[in-house]
Amino acid sequence: MNNSTKSCADTDLRSLLKKQHKTVYSICRLFARTYKEHQRLFMDIISAASQNIRFRKAGVDKQTLMWRACINMAALHSITSTMDYAADREIKFKSPDYQRSMTDLSESIGNAGDYDKFLLFIDFESIDSNDLFGSVNRPTPQTAGSVQVIPYLKNKFVWS
Amino acid sequence: MELDKLHQQWNSFPEMSMEERPVLSTDLEKMVVRNPLTDAFYLQKKLVVRIIAFTLLWLADGWLVRTQWLGDRKDIYFYAAFFLLLSFAIFFHLRLVLFADYPTLLGLPLVPFLGKLEIILDKYIASYKLVSAIASFSLLVLFEQWMARTNPLLFDAFLQRDWSKWLLLAFLMISFDILLMHTAIPRYRKLLETVRKYRQGITAAKARNEIWTIK
Repeated sequence: MNNSTKSCADTDLRSLLKKQHKTVYSICRLFARTYKEHQRLFMDIISAASQNIRFRKAGVDKQTLMWRACINMAALHSITSTMDYAADREIKFKSPDYQRSMTDLSESIGNAGDYDKFLLFIDFESIDSNDLFGSVNRPTPQTAGSVQVIPYLKNKFVWS
Repeated sequence: MELDKLHQQWNSFPEMSMEERPVLSTDLEKMVVRNPLTDAFYLQKKLVVRIIAFTLLWLADGWLVRTQWLGDRKDIYFYAAFFLLLSFAIFFHLRLVLFADYPTLLGLPLVPFLGKLEIILDKYIASYKLVSAIASFSLLVLFEQWMARTNPLLFDAFLQRDWSKWLLLAFLMISFDILLMHTAIPRYRKLLETVRKYRQGITAAKARNEIWTIK
């Protein structure tokens, strides 16, 4: 890739991130409970999205990779939060307006699970949800005549 | 309706304030080049350090095997076993780095992403068995080399009692394994369990949702 094409791709990536940053902010509302968490999650998502786009494989568009970064980073944030903190932590934001909106949103959502939160985000931001979650069942093709591998060895040698 | 109320709340969220400050170009420049994964999830650096360390040991052990082969061959089985172990450990770690493929990991859909993360953590925990075996072999090799230089007579006596060396090796391996099991491994095991539970929760919710959609 020559310099002008690379610089064009970088500009393209930056303009996409700038255009979508409000939507990225909006997913943080569902998972962050403090200003610090909010900013950290936002930065993580932007970094993940830029990494996804820079190393993207053919067949997946930039927008999908951006939404996947949002969902995957929010999931990782949720996982680390459950390990580090108590389940219902206090919402703390400096701005009174923002604090009120966050408290209202949190009360309305209640105990909804993370998958429901993702669906709300997708619905409210009118995002195409195809290819964001993947298949629930892993494909395990087993025909009647196929050779049976010892499950223990299969588990050891086949990783995915 | 509850969902309408929620939608209204969503749309009436305060606009960008200092709390939600707009992204400045300088911030964005920094954000796009930083690694989004935390140390707990990003194992590439640790794996690369191990690969380098194992490769150095592999070269040193290769030289010792050669010396044994050209010399009296008294201890060749021991050094050859260490050589094979190191070769397998390098292969295992390289395979894990290639499998993890960190630059594209976050571009996967959620369920495969969590599944892959689980496999990486699981294999990383398993790799500690290799670390304890290599540490035991290394310690014994160092001990032997030190003894050969300081007290050759004692070293010859040690070599003649071959079983005592293998017994010592087994004891060291078990000791290192227990040590790692109580120091380095628990936090990765806890992380693996949390990721697994989270994936199962998402999978169950998704399956439930799909059934409702079909109905």
